[in-house]
Amino acid sequence: MSAAIEMHAVDKAFRRQRVLADMSLKVEQGQTFAFLGRNGAGKTTTIRMLLGLLQRDAGAISVLGIDPAEDPLAIRARTGYLAEDQEMYGWMRVDEIIRFVAPFYGTWDHDLALKYVREFELPLAQKIKTLSKGQTVRLGLVLALAHRPELVILDDPALGLDPVMRRQFNRDLITHLQGEGRTVFYSSHLLYEVEPVADVVAILDGGRVVRQTDTETLRRDVKQFVLSSSALAAVRDDLAMLDLQHANDEAAVTVENAGAATALLGREGLEHRVVDLNLDEIFAAYVSGTIDQASAAPPSLAAVGEEEG
Amino acid sequence: MFLRIEKGSAVPISRQLAAQIEALVSAGNLAPGAKLPSVRELARQLAVNQNTVLRVYERLAREGLLDMRQGQGTFVAARPKGAALKGRRAKLAEELRQIARQGMALGLSPDELHELLSEVLAEPATQNHIAQIAAQQVAENPS
Repeated sequence: MSAAIEMHAVDKAFRRQRVLADMSLKVEQGQTFAFLGRNGAGKTTTIRMLLGLLQRDAGAISVLGIDPAEDPLAIRARTGYLAEDQEMYGWMRVDEIIRFVAPFYGTWDHDLALKYVREFELPLAQKIKTLSKGQTVRLGLVLALAHRPELVILDDPALGLDPVMRRQFNRDLITHLQGEGRTVFYSSHLLYEVEPVADVVAILDGGRVVRQTDTETLRRDVKQFVLSSSALAAVRDDLAMLDLQHANDEAAVTVENAGAATALLGREGLEHRVVDLNLDEIFAAYVSGTIDQASAAPPSLAAVGEEEG
Repeated sequence: MFLRIEKGSAVPISRQLAAQIEALVSAGNLAPGAKLPSVRELARQLAVNQNTVLRVYERLAREGLLDMRQGQGTFVAARPKGAALKGRRAKLAEELRQIARQGMALGLSPDELHELLSEVLAEPATQNHIAQIAAQQVAENPS
């Protein structure tokens, strides 16, 4: 099975600002791939490069076996794309925009478009500007899917949807995308939001993918250990630390090799407490974790003063 | 079958689903031989990845709790195997251990904890449930 998307050592800068640095990722065919990062991490930049709308500075990209820098139109013909906060012609009616978009695609299936319109309960004769946010996203999906693309790229589609609409959107995604075996590349800034639907998640931080795996492995590997500062000192070289906080003579350390850490602490007979983290905490550990270099000594008066301040 | 999932919890969705199905089976809400929704249906109902639902069904089938029949669907096993029930028992013991610890933390004595459990068991709702399970067992093993 060949990969649907592959990026290798990709760099991209805007003027002096480096957005992506040595970024690599791989999406297998048929996978639902969640692409996570904080706002401004480079998610949309990545998507625009996949579609050939932006050029990379270095590295290699392959989408459906095609280099987007060489033949972007071939990729766009086989890809469905739902942009973040998609702007549409507000004065058009739903049926008008469907007829307007159709001729752009050689494989457009008008009956399929109308079937989605019915399933999504979209009012054909209504002007786009009068649609709700949820209806607008669904109309965007109709336009992205009716040419039967092999690959669907969704840029933060749940942004601005309320919880009920988000669930409905996930359901649409499961029925119409996963159910039909399409590859889905789904960007979001909320790990817990993509968990129910994603096969694999990739976390983007500092211009590269810092972790790519499934959510169960992520939860098994990333845990917090609470132990004494002296116990930490004995094992810290073998911990893959994401975040470390000290309080009094205790340390709370979040690692991404929890299995090895548990085994090590057991072998050394060091007392510790393991805390299972939720997905928000795991995401935060990767994108905003800090290593607190405080010594093992009891807190100084200055440190206490700081806490109070 | 009513299941619910909690998004973003520290417990993976597959484990949440497996635990709820196990609970429904061991409480008798899902009787032996009962048909479960298809993978597709349940995935759609819960808005959860089909692969996740499939993994849960496969795991419970390996444990002997469910029976996946090619082309027919997924059913509660006619006689859920001992191992599956033993797993439930171990889990229950762990929950009781935690409850006992919480009780101690609240300053309850072991006697007071026993008393609390007896009170709960004596409540009409619990009594009704016990009677239902007993009736089911009689219906399954008429001898």
